[in-house]
Amino acid sequence: MKRRSITALCLATVVAAAVAATTSGATQKATASNLVVWLQVDAQSSWPDVVAAASQKFQADHPGTKVTVQYQNWGDHLQKFDATLAGGGGPDVIEMGNSEMIKYMAAGAFASLDKSSFDNNATWLGGLAKSGRYGGKTYGVPYYAGSRVVTYRTDLFKKAGITKLPATTAQYVADAAKLFKVDPTKGFSPLYIAGTDWYVAMGFVFDYGGGIATQVSGKWKGLLASRQSIAGLTAYKNFFAAVSRASKTTDEAHPNPYDVYAQGGAASMIGQSWFTCCVGAKYKADTAQFVMPGHLRGQALPGFQGGSDLAVPVTSGDKSLASDWIKDFTSTSSEKALQAKGNIPNATNLLGNSVNERAAARSWFVPSAKHWADVENGNILRNMLQQILTGKLSVKQAAQSASDNITSVLNQP
Amino acid sequence: MSEGTSTTAAAGTLLGTSRRRRRVWGRAAGGAVPYVLIAPVVVVIGVVLGYPLYWLGKLSLEHYTLFELIRHAGTWVGLDNYRSVLSDQIFWHTLLRTVIFTAVNVGLTIVLGMLIALLLVRLSTWVRLLLTSGLVLVWSMPVVVAVQIFYWMTNFQNGVVNSILTKLHVGDFSQHDWYGTTFSQLGMVTLLIVWGALPFVVITLYAALAQVPRDLVEAAEVDGATSFGIFRDITLPIIKPILLILTSLSIIWDFGVFTQPYLLIGQSKITPNNFLMSIYLFEEGYFKSDYGRGAAISLLMVLMVGLLSIVYVRKMVRIGVSE
Amino acid sequence: MTRRRGRRVRQAGWDAVGLAVFVVMVFPVFWMISTAFKPDDQIVSLNPTWIPWRPTLSHFGAAIHKPYFWEDVKNSLIVVGITVAISIVLAFLAAVALARYGFSGRALFILMVIGIQMLPQAGLIIPLYVVLADYHKTNTLAGVVITYLTFVLPFCVWTLRGFLLGIPKELEEAAMVDGSTRLGVFLKILLPLMAPGLVATSVFAFITTWNEYIFARVLLNDQSKQTITVWLSYFYGSSRHTDWGALMAASTLTAIPVVVFFLLVQRRIAFGLTAGAVRG
Repeated sequence: MKRRSITALCLATVVAAAVAATTSGATQKATASNLVVWLQVDAQSSWPDVVAAASQKFQADHPGTKVTVQYQNWGDHLQKFDATLAGGGGPDVIEMGNSEMIKYMAAGAFASLDKSSFDNNATWLGGLAKSGRYGGKTYGVPYYAGSRVVTYRTDLFKKAGITKLPATTAQYVADAAKLFKVDPTKGFSPLYIAGTDWYVAMGFVFDYGGGIATQVSGKWKGLLASRQSIAGLTAYKNFFAAVSRASKTTDEAHPNPYDVYAQGGAASMIGQSWFTCCVGAKYKADTAQFVMPGHLRGQALPGFQGGSDLAVPVTSGDKSLASDWIKDFTSTSSEKALQAKGNIPNATNLLGNSVNERAAARSWFVPSAKHWADVENGNILRNMLQQILTGKLSVKQAAQSASDNITSVLNQP
Repeated sequence: MSEGTSTTAAAGTLLGTSRRRRRVWGRAAGGAVPYVLIAPVVVVIGVVLGYPLYWLGKLSLEHYTLFELIRHAGTWVGLDNYRSVLSDQIFWHTLLRTVIFTAVNVGLTIVLGMLIALLLVRLSTWVRLLLTSGLVLVWSMPVVVAVQIFYWMTNFQNGVVNSILTKLHVGDFSQHDWYGTTFSQLGMVTLLIVWGALPFVVITLYAALAQVPRDLVEAAEVDGATSFGIFRDITLPIIKPILLILTSLSIIWDFGVFTQPYLLIGQSKITPNNFLMSIYLFEEGYFKSDYGRGAAISLLMVLMVGLLSIVYVRKMVRIGVSE
Repeated sequence: MTRRRGRRVRQAGWDAVGLAVFVVMVFPVFWMISTAFKPDDQIVSLNPTWIPWRPTLSHFGAAIHKPYFWEDVKNSLIVVGITVAISIVLAFLAAVALARYGFSGRALFILMVIGIQMLPQAGLIIPLYVVLADYHKTNTLAGVVITYLTFVLPFCVWTLRGFLLGIPKELEEAAMVDGSTRLGVFLKILLPLMAPGLVATSVFAFITTWNEYIFARVLLNDQSKQTITVWLSYFYGSSRHTDWGALMAASTLTAIPVVVFFLLVQRRIAFGLTAGAVRG
C-alpha cells in the first residue's frame, strides 16, 4: 500500500516537474528586442568590464534592445555554432578565432559588413583584417590580437653574465651555453620551446624568407620544400637542440611553458605575453620580457599573429543591430580598454610600446585557404616537426612530404 | 539468505498446489497489453531519434558539408560516400586498430573485473567495504575530470607516475614521455578506460558471485576440487548470463569510446596512425565538416559493432526465449 | 590451532591484496582531492607533494564563487532526477513486455533497443538539435531531459529485462491463483522483487546523465540554465592558463552528489543484481 502511494506521488511529481521545466524558458530568439552575443570565456574572466561598458553604450543608443552575452569555450564553440546554423537559434554576434574565419566565410556563414562603419578601419592590423575578408567583402571585424614574446628570468641572465639581451638567434645560442652552466640540472632549458610548437618553428621559416603555401593562379602550392623554408627549418632544428630540453614530440600546452618556468625548469620561454600571470610567486619579481630576435640583427623573429574577429552569422535576426554592437565593442575607447588588459588593439594607430605590441610589428599568418583548418587539424606541421627533431626523417624529406600533403589538402574542392 | 531465495522457496510450495492450472500469462497471451507497455519507450525514442536517424541515413547518401548545412540542402550522390570510406585505407587501418583495441580493453576489463570480484568475496568485511566505496568514488568521477587527472599524473614533466617508478628503482623514468608512441598512447588510453570501467563490472560480478550457493561450493571442496575447478564447473555456469551482458555492453562501449582517447592523446597528437573509429568519425564528420561522409561512417560503425557483438547479443536474446 | 592460524594468515594475505587494489584504483581520486587543497606552487612543483601539509581552501572558494555554481547544480539535479525517474518507470514497463509477453514486433523492438546503444553519439548532435529547435526546446531543461531519455532508456530496458527474467513466472502465477488481479500481482510481487534491480539501474542512469557533457553544451545557452558539467568546462575552456587548483576543487564538488546518491542506495544493489539477472 505504502509503496503504491509513493509510486503514484513520484509519478505525479515527475509529470509536474516536467511540465514546469517545459514551460520555463523558450529558445533565446534573436529578435529586435534581444541581441545575443557569443564571446569566448577569456572575456568573462579577464575583461568583463569592457564587455559591460560596450553593452551599456549600445543599450543607451538602442533603448528597448537587451544584450545577452553568452560565453563559449574554444574547444566546442564551433560545434555549437554548426548546430545553430542547421537549426536556428544562433547568436547575432560571434567571436571567431582568426584562423577559424576562412572556412566559415567560404561556406557563406556570415553576413557581409560595411567596413567603413567601424572605428579605425583604415588602420586595422594587417593580419587580422585579412582574416576577415573574403571575395572582396568584409565579414569579420578585428577584435584583438596577441603575439609571442620571450619571458625570461632576469636573475638567471644576470648570473650567467648576459649583459645585453640577445639580438640574434646565434647570440641566443651563445647565451644558452652560459645559462646551462648556471643550472646544470637535467632537463633545464635556457629557452623552453616545445618540440612541435609550430607557431615558433614557422617563425623561423618566415624569418628565412620561406613560407607555408601560396596561391598560384587559383591553385595552392606548398612552400615548405623551398630552399628558404628548408633553411629556416634547419635553423630551427639546430636552435632547438642548442637551447631547449623540452620533449621533441609534445606540443606547447603539454606541459604549459609557464609551469615549467614556475618550477625553475627554464631560464626563458617563448609564449603569449600573459604568461607572466603564472610564473609562480617565487620568480615573479625577477621576470621580464623582450622581443624574440630573428637570425639577422635588428629583425624580430616573425611572430604568429593570433587574434579574434567578430562576425555576424547569416542566421541573425537583426544584422544592423549586431553590427552596431560590434562597432561599440571595437570602438577606440573599447580597444584602449582591451589594450590596458594586456591585449594588442586592433589598429596600428592605437599600438603602444609594450613588448607584446612591438613583437607584433613583424608577424606571419596562415594561408587564407578554405581547407587550412584541415591542415591544422591533421597536425601536418606538428608531425613534420616531430620527424625533423627526432631525426626520423631528414629536414628535406620531412618538409617535402609535409609540403605535398598541404598542397593536396588545400586544393580539395 | 536473500529475499528472493526465500520467496522462491515459498513459491515452490504454492506451485505444488497450482500445477494443475493452466499458465495464466505466458508468451502467447497478452493481446494489446505488451504494445501498451512498450508504447511510451517507442514513442519517446521514435519522436526524438526518428528524425536524426532519417537524417543520418539521408545524409550518408548526399554530399553535405558546411556549405550545404547553411543552405539546408544537400546534393544527392548515392553510395559515393560509402564507396569513398570503404576504399579509404585509413578506414580499414582504423577499423583493425579499433577491433584490437576493443578486444584488449574488453578482455582486460572482464578478466580484471572477474578477479577483483572473486577477491571481494574473500575479503574481511571492512576491507570489502573500503574497496567497494573506493570503486564507487572512481565510478563517480566525470570522464573529463578523470582524463585531466590521469594526464596530470602521467605527464613527463612532473607526473607522479614517473617519480614513483623512478623511486621504486624500476628504472629511470624521470621525464619519460608516455605519449610518445602510438602504442604508448593507446596503452595509456586503455589503462584509463579499464580503470573507469572496472567499478561497474566488479560490483555487478560481485553481486552475481554472491548468488552462487555456498553449499555447492563447500561440497565440491570436500570432494577435493581445486579452486579453478570450482570456478569453472560451478561458478561460471551460474554467472554466465551476467558475463554475457557485461561483455556485450563492454564491446559496444569500448568500440565507440570517444572522450577518453580524444582528450588524453590530445588534438595535437591525433593522426591517422592512432585513430580509433570514433575519433576517425569525429575528424571526418566534424572537423572537415563533411557531414555526409560522417553519416556514412556512423552507420558503418553501427554495422561493425553489431557484427562484433552479435554472438553475445544472440545468446542474450535467446535467454528469454527458451522459457 | 594451526589451522585457525593458517586461515587468519591467509585472510590477512587476501586483505593485503584487497588494500593494494584499493590504493591503486583510488589513487587518481586521491590525487584530485589532494590537489584541490594544495597551494598553487605545490601543484606545479617538480617534486610531487603527496599530502598537502599546508592545505588551502582558496580553490574551493574560487570554485563556488565562479558564476552560476548553485544554479547549475540545481539544474543538474533537476535534469538528472527527472531523467532517472521517467526512464526507470518507462523502461520497467517495456521490460515487462519483453520479459513476459510474446508479441509480433518483439524482435524489432529488441533490435531498436540494442541498435540505439551502438549509435555513435557524435553524429547525432546536429540533427537532434534541429529536431529540438523545431519544437522550441533548445535552451530548455526539458529538451535536455528528452535527449538524455533517448540514450538512457535502451540501457535501462535491456538491464531491467535481465532482472525480470530472473524472477520465476511461477511466483506471479501462484499469486494469480490466489485471486490477485494482474495489477495486484504487478504491485505486490513484481515490484518488491524488482526494487533492487530498479535501484541498480537507476544508479547507472544517474551517473551517466550527471556526467554527460556535449549535448548539454550544445543545447543550453543561458549560463543560468546550464548543467554542472558545462559549468565545469569553463575552467578549462579559455585559451589562457587553466587554474588547476580551482578545477580540481570544482571537480571534487561535482563528484559529491553522485557519491552521495550511490551511498544512499548501495545497500540494495548487491542484492538487486543478484536476485534478477543470474537466474536467467
